[in-house]
Amino acid sequence: MALPARLPQLSRRTWLLASGSVLVSHVLGGEPLGVTWDGDDLHISAPQLRFLAGKPLERLKNGASVFFVSQLTLFTDRFQTVLRRAPERFVVSYDVWEEKYSVAKLAGERRLVSHLTAEAAEAWCLDNVAISASGLTPERQFWLRFELRATEPREQPDLLNESGINLTRLVEIFSRPSTSQQPGWVRETGPLRLADLKRVRGRASRLG
Amino acid sequence: MKCAWLGCLLWGGLLFAGNQQAEFNVNCRYTVESVELSGDTGAKISAGLREELTRLVGENLNPPALDQVAKRIRHELHVRSVTHRVLRGTQPQHVKVVFDVGGRSAKFEVSVPKFLYHSNEGWSGLVEGTTTVGNQAFTLGLVSDGDELAERYSGLLGRYENRKLGTSRLRFRFQFESYHEQWNQATRQNLEPAGPPPSADYAGLYRTRQNFEPVATLVLAAPLTLSVGTGFQRFETQYPAARTEASNSLITTLRYHRVLEGSEANQQDLDAGYNLRAATRILNSDFAYVRHHWEVRYRYSRGASVILDDFAAGLITGQAPLFERFVLGNSSTLRGWNKFELDPLGGSRVVHNSVEYRYRVVEIFYDTGAIWDRNQPVVPRHAVGVGLRQGNLSLAVAFPVKEGRIEPIFMVGMNY
Repeated sequence: MALPARLPQLSRRTWLLASGSVLVSHVLGGEPLGVTWDGDDLHISAPQLRFLAGKPLERLKNGASVFFVSQLTLFTDRFQTVLRRAPERFVVSYDVWEEKYSVAKLAGERRLVSHLTAEAAEAWCLDNVAISASGLTPERQFWLRFELRATEPREQPDLLNESGINLTRLVEIFSRPSTSQQPGWVRETGPLRLADLKRVRGRASRLG
Repeated sequence: MKCAWLGCLLWGGLLFAGNQQAEFNVNCRYTVESVELSGDTGAKISAGLREELTRLVGENLNPPALDQVAKRIRHELHVRSVTHRVLRGTQPQHVKVVFDVGGRSAKFEVSVPKFLYHSNEGWSGLVEGTTTVGNQAFTLGLVSDGDELAERYSGLLGRYENRKLGTSRLRFRFQFESYHEQWNQATRQNLEPAGPPPSADYAGLYRTRQNFEPVATLVLAAPLTLSVGTGFQRFETQYPAARTEASNSLITTLRYHRVLEGSEANQQDLDAGYNLRAATRILNSDFAYVRHHWEVRYRYSRGASVILDDFAAGLITGQAPLFERFVLGNSSTLRGWNKFELDPLGGSRVVHNSVEYRYRVVEIFYDTGAIWDRNQPVVPRHAVGVGLRQGNLSLAVAFPVKEGRIEPIFMVGMNY
């Protein structure tokens, strides 16, 4: 059976890099990203990514809203050179009566959906993450990294009160886990080329 | 670097989280059916807070309001964290809110109750470590204070407090202090060892002093309390020869403190007290005197504006040691004046009033008062000042109202 015409163009090095990046992606947190292109923007998917879980899910079930911040980064040199970044913010809440999720996209054009299952809410968030592919030629290799983090609500301790500065509270503040220890997920993929990507009809357009 | 953007987003997220929480939380359409506090904490909250909790019932769920209430509960109960849960109510479209109180009062806390730089007096500060076991608290502190009295006293203090002695209406406190004294040149010159004493009312300088002070406080009828105790002060005099003297006194304090809450943005706070210290030979005291001190503080806040009035008066009859004498011209009285110019030995009579207006972080104040001794003329003095205040932290410049050369006094610190 004849191989597709473009496959012989990929060097051994490219294959090695691709294999390596897949391995790294798995080490970093599971499946690599699925990527599609609508002619303007790159869109991602990660059907196995479960971020409505753990502490964020606990807070949602307690009736609180949970903020998620994400960033999609486009690299042109094996995650070394950043070409573009596309940050995004979402707020998710859980209806205690209907047991369904509601998601709002905060950056850019605001959108709000409700009555979603957990999987649908996660997929909706990723569907609304996109980055512009402008400046990329069809044959140019590029890499994508998707980062997602739930922001923890922080109670402001009573550092200053009637009894003056509370040094114990100050120690507590400096002993808090850093932002990097908050629930977070990273997915990467590459090398990719626009010429190889599945073309889809225009979705949620988002210039990064 | 990759975290930089996340940092920006997080800060942005936190800044706007309050409003957005209300805007995008799908549960905001539900009506609050009930509000509960976990455990047995419900009985310990104030009437004002209870009222605030009641106000949430019947309204739509409002997460920022819940956060505010949680903060107030944390503050009142002195606990580390208060979180809230929203659960289904018993009726459709209704929810109940449960506040979970977590992390009881810290077992050990270190605090800085006073920290001050005064351009005339230099630095003053107090650091305390408190261990709490149930209703009992043990405190150990280090202090160097050149602001409060005519002397600079430096040393350590220890305190034992029992906030519930059999009944919550009775408290007990025992305090021990041990200080080493430093004297300003002006004070020294007024008490020259070779010269005659300026008045029979004055006692001499001392180099060290210790105080043992057990006091019991009884809640007569909240918010009125009566404290009764004794103070055993021992100090080592410098002139004419080093020897130990004692000033042992009976202490009585009557205090009334009431917070009057009107609407949400309208609050009044009244704090009044009378303190009597009577040193007597019956307690083997080398000094015999009676010291009266009256103080009334009133605070009215409305929105971002706060008006404060602080009135104090004092009278000493008999011969009292220098640490008992009144002082004006420090960081809280007649700000702008130099206490060593006003009266380097302190006075046996004092009247003072301070009016302060605060709007957000800006404060302006006007102090007026007089300090004098028996058979001396009363000279009223005035001072004005302006400053910035955020919570207990304050930075202020004060000017004495007088003729001639005026040197402003600069103060920065907290709780002064």
